[in-house]
Amino acid sequence: MVKVLLYLGCTIPTKQYAYEISARNVLPRLGVELVEFPEAGCCGFPLKGINKNAWIYMSARILSLASMRNLPILALCNGCDTSLRKIKTLLNEDESLRKYMAKLLANEGIELHTDVEVYHVVDLLHDVVGVNKIKELVKKPLTGIKIASYPGCHLLRPSDIPRPEDSVDPRKFDNLLSALGASVGYYPDKGGCCGATMLPYSAKYALRVVAGKIKNIKEFNFDAVSTSCPYCMEMLDAKQDAARSEVGDESISIPVFYLTQLIGLAIGLSPKELGLSLNLSPVEGVLEKLGVSLSG
Amino acid sequence: MLVSLEAKLINRKYLDSVKELVKPHTPQYCYQCAKCTSACTASKVIPEYKPHLIVALTRMGLIKQLLDSGIIWACTECWKCGEYCPQNVAPVEVIIALKNLAVASGYRPPEDLIAMARNVIELGRISPPIEVLSKEFEIYSRESLNLPPLVRPYAHESMRKTLKDLLGGL
Repeated sequence: MVKVLLYLGCTIPTKQYAYEISARNVLPRLGVELVEFPEAGCCGFPLKGINKNAWIYMSARILSLASMRNLPILALCNGCDTSLRKIKTLLNEDESLRKYMAKLLANEGIELHTDVEVYHVVDLLHDVVGVNKIKELVKKPLTGIKIASYPGCHLLRPSDIPRPEDSVDPRKFDNLLSALGASVGYYPDKGGCCGATMLPYSAKYALRVVAGKIKNIKEFNFDAVSTSCPYCMEMLDAKQDAARSEVGDESISIPVFYLTQLIGLAIGLSPKELGLSLNLSPVEGVLEKLGVSLSG
Repeated sequence: MLVSLEAKLINRKYLDSVKELVKPHTPQYCYQCAKCTSACTASKVIPEYKPHLIVALTRMGLIKQLLDSGIIWACTECWKCGEYCPQNVAPVEVIIALKNLAVASGYRPPEDLIAMARNVIELGRISPPIEVLSKEFEIYSRESLNLPPLVRPYAHESMRKTLKDLLGGL
């Protein structure tokens, strides 16, 4: 049993509810004890373009709050994971920055600490829980379904700080999907970006990024895509219809699942326990193959 | 003539600010190999967006022109350019520095980004929890999904003050 703080960030608890529901139901069954961390807000990732110090301050805050609880952080969101690991590294390397942040936090009664372990779902499951343990729990293997793992940018980069996955040759996500009985494989855009961060600048161009990605995945004959980032999910799943209209290509259509949802299906949880009716992409076909229906 | 042209185009103050903001990365080390552009997410959908040119213009001090164009906000911060840069210039870091400089100099970032920042200040998150629709047009909320209610972040009032100071007059 490993005990972690469930750090939800912004997008998951305000919009991407299926990730929160599936994580809350799946992880404890894999031996991960989730401890609520409601006092933690945004990691600051969306603020770095406006002011980098605001980003650093927000992540320094989360690291320090976690340290007060004396537990590792589990980040479900790729952006949160990158922020916390990057800021931890920056603060450990830069003494004057550390002093500055310590002063800002002292004003609000928080002592700056960075000695906190940070996990993302992918490395927690792969490296701590272990692929074999997951394999043992599988009741309904995802046999015959070829799934494209889509780690998302910030699970991989920047690689000058510790990352959950290898930036050039990410394998952990695929290993987890293989443990569920699914087929996996290569496609050139695996390390690519979903375009979410471009949305405030231009929805049109961001949707073209999505369209290009789904096209690439389909060219390599995958039946579905799986991600572990709420932004990637929002783009590939919720914005799939808009991306199809934007480029006028009817073939842009693919089921998209959170990794936690696929694990849940394989260990025998119901669609309701996995928030599957919130997926907006055409997931029904894959569910049918597994003998599950959305209403069940 | 060249000297007066330089004086007219190049903004030294901006150049010094970017150099300071982007440390330990150094735009001057860029030798224009364009590996960044060949990896860039935004370049694939916006042909005129080229990180190696953004670095070239920055290095020359033509920063006002760059900020006026607003193109820097197209960067998705996917960090591929930073990964592939052989000189550790990391164009993404240069672009983040340019964005910070733009805001500090009175340029307005995209409205959605401002809205997110305001929400982080006021609520501690980029958005309040919203109602979402399923494919069958059923409406779901945190409450109807039996998810625990969200609370304000720890010491929210002092966090709000600190963030407001850092983010300026957004």
